Amino acid sequence: MEQVRNYRTGILWGLLAVIFGLVPVFMTSTYQLILASHIIVWGMFAVAFNLLFGMTGMLSFGQALYYGLGAYFVGLMVNYLGSGWFLPGMLLGILASAVLSFLLGLLIIRVHGVFFTMLTLAFAQLVWQITFKWYEFTGGDDGVQGIMAPGILGDQIVYFYFTLVLCLLSIWVMKRLAYSPLGLVLRCVRQNPERVRFLGKRVRRNRLRVYMVSSVFAALAGGLMAGVDNSIHTDMLYWTTSGEVILMSVLGGIHQFFGPFIGAAAIILIEDVVGAYTEYWAAIIGGVMLIMVIAFPKGIVGEVQRIKSRFAGSESRRV
Amino acid sequence: MDFSFFLSQLISGLTMATLLFLVASGLTLIFGVANVFNFAHGSFYMVGAYLGYQFIGVWQFNFWLGLIVAGLGAGILGILAESLFLRRIYGRSEEGGFQILLTYCFILLIDDLVKIVWGTEYKSISRPPGFTGAVQFAGVTIPSYNLAIIVIGLLVVFLSWWVLMKTRPGRITRAFAVDREILGVLGVNVPLTMTLVFGIATGLGGMTGALAAPLRSVTPGAGIEVIIDSLIVVVLGGMGNFWGAWLGALLLGEVNAFAVAFVPKWATLFSYLVMVVTLIFKPEGLFAPRKVRKI
Amino acid sequence: MLRHKTWTLVVLAFFALVVLPGVVSAADEKVVRIGAMYPMTGRAGLYGLDSVAAAEMAVDEVNAKGGAAGYKLDIVFTDSKAKPAYAVRVAKRYITEDDVHFLFGVVSSGVGLAVTEVSKQYKTIFIGTDHASTRLTADSLQPYYFRVSNNTFQSMAAGALYLKEIKASKPWETIAFIGPDYAYGHSQWNELRFCLDRFGVEYKVVGEYWPKIFAPDYTPYITSIINDKPDILVAGFWGGDTVAFIKQAKPYGLFDKMLYFHPDAGGNYELMSAMGDELPLGLVLSARHHDNWPDTAQNQAFVAEFKKRTGRYPTYAAEGAYAGIYAIANAVEKVGNPDDTEALVKALEGIKMQLPEDPEGFTSYIDPDTHQVVQMQAIGVTVENKDFPPATRMLDHWKIYKAEDIMPPKGYTEAKSTK
Repeated sequence: MEQVRNYRTGILWGLLAVIFGLVPVFMTSTYQLILASHIIVWGMFAVAFNLLFGMTGMLSFGQALYYGLGAYFVGLMVNYLGSGWFLPGMLLGILASAVLSFLLGLLIIRVHGVFFTMLTLAFAQLVWQITFKWYEFTGGDDGVQGIMAPGILGDQIVYFYFTLVLCLLSIWVMKRLAYSPLGLVLRCVRQNPERVRFLGKRVRRNRLRVYMVSSVFAALAGGLMAGVDNSIHTDMLYWTTSGEVILMSVLGGIHQFFGPFIGAAAIILIEDVVGAYTEYWAAIIGGVMLIMVIAFPKGIVGEVQRIKSRFAGSESRRV
Repeated sequence: MDFSFFLSQLISGLTMATLLFLVASGLTLIFGVANVFNFAHGSFYMVGAYLGYQFIGVWQFNFWLGLIVAGLGAGILGILAESLFLRRIYGRSEEGGFQILLTYCFILLIDDLVKIVWGTEYKSISRPPGFTGAVQFAGVTIPSYNLAIIVIGLLVVFLSWWVLMKTRPGRITRAFAVDREILGVLGVNVPLTMTLVFGIATGLGGMTGALAAPLRSVTPGAGIEVIIDSLIVVVLGGMGNFWGAWLGALLLGEVNAFAVAFVPKWATLFSYLVMVVTLIFKPEGLFAPRKVRKI
Repeated sequence: MLRHKTWTLVVLAFFALVVLPGVVSAADEKVVRIGAMYPMTGRAGLYGLDSVAAAEMAVDEVNAKGGAAGYKLDIVFTDSKAKPAYAVRVAKRYITEDDVHFLFGVVSSGVGLAVTEVSKQYKTIFIGTDHASTRLTADSLQPYYFRVSNNTFQSMAAGALYLKEIKASKPWETIAFIGPDYAYGHSQWNELRFCLDRFGVEYKVVGEYWPKIFAPDYTPYITSIINDKPDILVAGFWGGDTVAFIKQAKPYGLFDKMLYFHPDAGGNYELMSAMGDELPLGLVLSARHHDNWPDTAQNQAFVAEFKKRTGRYPTYAAEGAYAGIYAIANAVEKVGNPDDTEALVKALEGIKMQLPEDPEGFTSYIDPDTHQVVQMQAIGVTVENKDFPPATRMLDHWKIYKAEDIMPPKGYTEAKSTK
């Protein structure tokens, strides 16, 4: 049984790598490359967000803080120190996110439910407002443009593979984490924190850890995105970014590991296709999501699996 | 700083606070009673502003009557949204995420709906006759319409206090926030109460939209801009705490008014700073009901 | 097994739907393809939709006359959502899927700066129609970018000259500023002071206020400004913020106590139409185009035709988009085809366009050095005028500033004005 599962997930990973890996080969325009990059990066960001939400039930409305931090470290370092600082900037952004999420985490892990959500939102908005105001340094609402990775990474296709490898690797790490003893404890915490505490596990420390992990990967996503778009903007720190990643996760299915990734792909594709044909995209996207939420509560991946298991069930009955 | 300037900043802050409170009160009511985080509250505010424009500006209704009709319209829209959609996700696991997703859908839909009906041009309503000028008091100029808003704010506070504390529906509402299931067992129609509370709260938001319209511009996207500020108020006061929202709004309004006077360059940072500092020391907000402290 | 195949087919079909249309639509007709991006929702939606209507109007006019050098203009629009990251995606789609010859549009400067980067990377000409940041034609100028509407520097230079002139008739000394707290607001204030210094005007700053953009409430700012007692209040808002500020300030008598001066976006038609009788008289305002100035046949025809098409009078954004189409048409006419990008860049440098906002005897042209359109600027005062309902106030008592006098000095960059 275990082997079959390993075999199956192996296929899934292979498929994911092949589909996205072949984009540069079969693409007819670089736009498709951009679209694929956005899906991969947002997908990874959404998986990271859901590591926190799906597993621990802690709904952060402020992951844009770390996403933006990662992006601004890359963008500002390249802007002020030259493109050689692209990768160090990414690394420093991730480190800074780890430190910041540790410090903030100590403060905000104390509260639960909607209070946690509001605290994350508050801090993210504070940082957004500072970035917005400090325009001499951050470029404010004008953002920073012309952020190019150095050397061979400056090539679009090379950068695409760089992004793909890093994102798949990150998702793999997060998946390992989700099914590790830590992940198990966290899932138990969601269901019954008291009992976990009685079992001698430290609830708060585990929560802090997962908050940090989620934030660090959000920063990586932001850093990668700075190179995809070659620009950064205060939008990346705004609450709409945090909101979007929630939408992706819920739409894709928060109880499936790959749900958020699929949700990200769906939202980005819908946004581009609908946006290209009508100015009333908001009503259409709103309507589609409304139906999804009401009719398919488990999200895209969750519903597909439900249907699959139903088929499988009827099959086995037949046999 | 002389006394009259101090006084005029104080009153400016009070005007700001009253409008903040009126928007936030609906938000906190829904949260406190139905445990729903209505991200689309600002959209109902915007619908109210547009309805106010339609009734008062276009169809020449009496101003105060127009306010009430606009509130009713937004309330009916709220009742529809709750009974057709929102109610279907109550009790799901991870309901918080679904609430945000669903109410975000409302924002998108209402935005386009407003655009289809009223277009993108800026609309506005004039102040009602008799309230266009200002009164002088101790060397301070106070626009009479601002004064009217402050009075209406106090009226809403008093009326809500009376309804919540002294009437049967109010007692049910308060009990609702504590234990829904018991009330159901006691024969209270739980779904209907939820719908009505949602309708009243969105109606209040809509009426505020119309009330603020003579001071602001009625534009698409107006809903998004008020939601974050009213969220801050609600969080400051303690989510779901009606009186807390009032005090939170006062705090925010006055801090803002004096920040503008003393450090105009950094004034915009203060709303967030106040929230962050408060939450560091009191994560549940300044006036949180005790029950949230469990776990 | 069949089930898997069906699923695969569904997925493939979906991808085909997404990816293929762009490949197929590249037709071989003689057309100039223009990819436009404008916000069509939210606060800036009015500007976006006005631009769309005016661009369509200009395209129809050009095509009715047989197109440019035998090429028909073909313009497509996408809602930029005023989000830079999304606009970048759209711009890349336009360039690599739809093979557009020109990128076009954009209201927000942040989006404009992001798109100009794409234009540079892909060597595709970007015609900017309605974003004001001077950075685009100064610090961030690249060979493929051209702007056909005034930037904030031109408005502020005209404003500084106006303030210099009125010193003679109505002596003033103190000045205060209020504007949105982002780049647009800050560069207006920096540029105005830069120009005042440059023209040798003496002034004393008594207050600077930075409410956040789209702030709903200005009362604390208003009472504080009144307390500062400036002779002149310079405002740098745009759109609904101007409406809200004026409405809230009026009962305080702010407009009787000081001169309200708003030279970049204050004179835009949407302010007059939104405020009606509530707009105070005697405010000094300007905009990048006025519905009632200049009084030329071309401007009247432009405004009337726009009104006929949309049922409303145009904001200045409309004329910017209209100008952009004519810049493209004239350049293609000159070069003879839309494919030779380098030749088009050469043609656009210095190209002339007769526009609705050009008074008798003047023709707008693009400055070859900065790629910035050179235009006259008119500053007016609000008076009663019921010719453009629902507005009941329009500008008049114009003071006109010559185009060459208000251009930034050679080698000007944003940093030079920052104090």
